[in-house]
Amino acid sequence: MQGYAPVYASRQVTNTIVTEASRATVRPGKIYAYGNYIFQVEQNEGIHIINNINPQQAKKIAFLKVPMATEIAIKSDHLYTNNLNDLVVFDLANLSSPKLVSRIADAFPAIDQTFPPFTNTYFECADASKGIIVAWELKLLSKPGCRR
Amino acid sequence: MKQILGYILVLIFFSCDKGGAETNAFANPTGQGGSLARFTIVGNYLYTVDKESLKVFDISNAAQPVFKNTVAIGFEIETIYPFKDKLFIGSTTVVHIFSIVDPAAPKKLSVAISPNVIRRCDPVVAKDTVAFATLRANGECGGTGSILAVYDIKDIFNPIQKGQYPVSEPYGLGYSDNVLYVCDRVNGLMVFDISKPYSPLFVRSIVNVKPVDVIPYNNVLIVWTNTGINLYDITNKLTPLLLTQIN
Repeated sequence: MQGYAPVYASRQVTNTIVTEASRATVRPGKIYAYGNYIFQVEQNEGIHIINNINPQQAKKIAFLKVPMATEIAIKSDHLYTNNLNDLVVFDLANLSSPKLVSRIADAFPAIDQTFPPFTNTYFECADASKGIIVAWELKLLSKPGCRR
Repeated sequence: MKQILGYILVLIFFSCDKGGAETNAFANPTGQGGSLARFTIVGNYLYTVDKESLKVFDISNAAQPVFKNTVAIGFEIETIYPFKDKLFIGSTTVVHIFSIVDPAAPKKLSVAISPNVIRRCDPVVAKDTVAFATLRANGECGGTGSILAVYDIKDIFNPIQKGQYPVSEPYGLGYSDNVLYVCDRVNGLMVFDISKPYSPLFVRSIVNVKPVDVIPYNNVLIVWTNTGINLYDITNKLTPLLLTQIN
């Protein structure tokens, strides 16, 4: 039956931040314009960095991998986003390779670790030993043990 | 001189195209987000909203944010939009208006309520003494009868809905001068003339796109779509022309 299953991750995985080659957009998220650049969130994956000096030929230049990122704001060449529940800051002096310069851990409330954000639904019971829950995913479950 | 500088910048850009240092030749310290944002920057402060609260970070030192404050707002908070010395915070029920005259300690001024739609999602933008919100009354937001709502905010303590236009499944919105762009999953990118803001005049819809949010940015309209980004030339603001897609 259809229900929600927790998506687990270890802190080690959620904290792994790197700049990678540009990639195709799969789950487009929020947008932000700064100078001659546009930024778009890849939902829960990171941020596409787009050169917009010539809008007719705007193109991606890099992908900043920030697990569970959903937001963007920029001031004075510094980009603010969320890495799961942490506020993280990147120095954009080199836009093809942003540099992580600070982190405020647990700046934002965590996703609920016990049940999905929906009622009247079956779900796979949470198991804290498997790591932290970073998302609740709707999928086909064989024998969901929990309901709310 | 400016032209020479432009050449130099172009040269720098081309010489660095293959993975070298790419620097941003632009002086404006703060960028621009869409109407669905949960982060926004005003002056030396970063404001963020989560489901129930507003958080304030001092970013005078851009590299080292300092947490200043949490302000409880209500429930199901979705968006934050800065306008002059105010923050407009959209939720699934109302628009909360906060003063940031004291930027580290936002203070609630009022709540804008639509008499037409009881439960909805509310991204909002403001212009002069008018605020525009899309009230989406379907899907996860509940309610029925989505509208583009126009509020008179001359008296910020008492916002009044003075206009509306029926839409289908609206998301983000943004304006450039007297033209308002509304993202609608059914109607596409809707273009309104808002010269008379309380009577938004529907001009056209670009239907071959499923838009989510927009940023009017100089002469370019940046549109978040279901596949990535579309850029439109809005030199003629009422007639967006597709420039490119970034997918």
